[in-house]
Amino acid sequence: MKHKSLSQPRPGPLQYVFLAGLAVLFVYPIWWAISSSLKPPNEIVRAPLSFSPGSATLHNYQAMFHDVPIGTGFLNTVLVVVVKGALTMCFCPLAGYAFAKYRFPGRDLLFGVLMLTLMLPTLVLIIPLLLQMSQLGWVNTYQALILPGSIDAFSIFWMRQTIAAVPDELLDAGRVDGAGEFGIFARIVVPVIRPGIAALGVLTTMNIYNDFVWPVVAVNDESHQTLQVVLSTLAQNVTGNRIGADFGSVWGELLAAGSIAMLPVLLLFILLQRHFINGILAGSVKG
Amino acid sequence: MTPATLTPPRNEEHTAPAPLRTRRRRLSLTPYVFVAPFYVVFAAFGLYPLVFALQLSFTNWKGAGEARFIGLDNYTYLLTSPEFWASLGNSAVMWLLIVPVQIVGGLAAAVLLANARLRLRGMFRVAFIAPFVTPLVAMAQVWIVVFDSDYGLVNHLLRLVGLPGVDWLTSTTWAKPTLALLFLWKTTGFAVIILLAGLQAVPSDVYEAAALDGASRRRQFWSLTLPLVRRSIAFLIVVQTLAVFQMFAEPFVVTQGGPYGSTTTGGLYLYNHITASDLGTGAANSFLLVLLVFALSLLSVRLLRSRDE
Repeated sequence: MKHKSLSQPRPGPLQYVFLAGLAVLFVYPIWWAISSSLKPPNEIVRAPLSFSPGSATLHNYQAMFHDVPIGTGFLNTVLVVVVKGALTMCFCPLAGYAFAKYRFPGRDLLFGVLMLTLMLPTLVLIIPLLLQMSQLGWVNTYQALILPGSIDAFSIFWMRQTIAAVPDELLDAGRVDGAGEFGIFARIVVPVIRPGIAALGVLTTMNIYNDFVWPVVAVNDESHQTLQVVLSTLAQNVTGNRIGADFGSVWGELLAAGSIAMLPVLLLFILLQRHFINGILAGSVKG
Repeated sequence: MTPATLTPPRNEEHTAPAPLRTRRRRLSLTPYVFVAPFYVVFAAFGLYPLVFALQLSFTNWKGAGEARFIGLDNYTYLLTSPEFWASLGNSAVMWLLIVPVQIVGGLAAAVLLANARLRLRGMFRVAFIAPFVTPLVAMAQVWIVVFDSDYGLVNHLLRLVGLPGVDWLTSTTWAKPTLALLFLWKTTGFAVIILLAGLQAVPSDVYEAAALDGASRRRQFWSLTLPLVRRSIAFLIVVQTLAVFQMFAEPFVVTQGGPYGSTTTGGLYLYNHITASDLGTGAANSFLLVLLVFALSLLSVRLLRSRDE
């Protein structure tokens, strides 16, 4: 990021206007959704642009909590994020380490297979996976939400890139000190690549938290639905009953649900945005 | 930027693992144990269903009862079905509305953000990437409200400046662009960061040399910047082509594929086979979709290559 170059021109006002315009377009919908969710229902329809903090109300949130099992959705999502995330965080760096620092027969073949699976779209697996779940009796279970896709190829690839940059001398020093193979990984590699691990953590959490396609297919009973699936049922009820509906209160609920779903990831993002953006930068090595 | 997490793309060969003599002496099981979990999960929940799907695509199975082998019937049915082609057509239009706009706009923003003399760079980066982290389903709901014909925010703004409102989500003309806008809003920040990574892998002395040689800024862009970020562009095109043709949550939540099927994308059409319990046809559909996406990705990478080399 420190490409100080004398040949770079000072950006002109037009360039700032362009960037600022884009930034507003990107951020305004988020701000609008959150602020509108706090407005009285009739205000959302009548005066979509205004927002007076004085008249802020939690009415929409109360109505939404009453209508959809959003609490259950939250708990299910937390459970899936924690367990699935832990699987990713344990096994992907370990596999990445093996691909980066060991030379073993079949390594290139195994790595090639791994890269091929990256190209496999989720959609092609949806139907057979669903059938497999019903054969196993796993429809509407947590293991169905957690296991498929739990140790993903992209994270392994990314960890391999990160660990490849760790100097071999460091590992050899550990070996001389008598550390075991796993000890070298846990006590030398992991501390050195901590920023990369943190970025992987953020990205993994967001991906699992926001996942929708598989959860909506794998689970159809309310007690196992994740937050995103619960949200989508609310949206479908709303658009299903458009005619004669009281738009203000329906939208209030939609915006409240959307805001509450956004909040945790937005907070996580704001806290760790450096790691996160650097993480994507590192992930783009794939190109 | 920590050196551990940023490896410039072009250095991949150098960072390739160097063999260590200590570990080459005897064949150790350790690395196999370390990589095994991925292959176990993949075999169980990737390979097995894939083979299963292939088998399924040659049957008329409806999710219950006997599965009968019907050869290529599912494939010929789909390939002669107007609905199947319409879903691909919808996806193709979405692709055209999304990918070129995103590459050109994203590149413009990335070039500006790469300028070290730009103020507020960090703030711009955060603003651009914020949509990428928001849950798609949540934003899709916001889209329903913002683009409503009667009471939506956008039509409210249009009327304020004296323009007529538009049926954003309920007319066959506008539903696709409105969904494309959601996709663009959500993922363009990601594209900017990817392109930025490509631009920052370009050493600045290359530009200094070019400037010394008297190359104009425009010329520098066309003959230096563009060829050097070609890999990032190719990567983006492949990733976004996969994503656009599989697009599912956006139409599922916002329009349910309507009005009149105009937003029934390849991904949503495939999902409809599941709800109709038409699993054999659905499996065949997914393979046709994957073949198409592969072909498109290869084609775009090819086109991009031949222009420069």
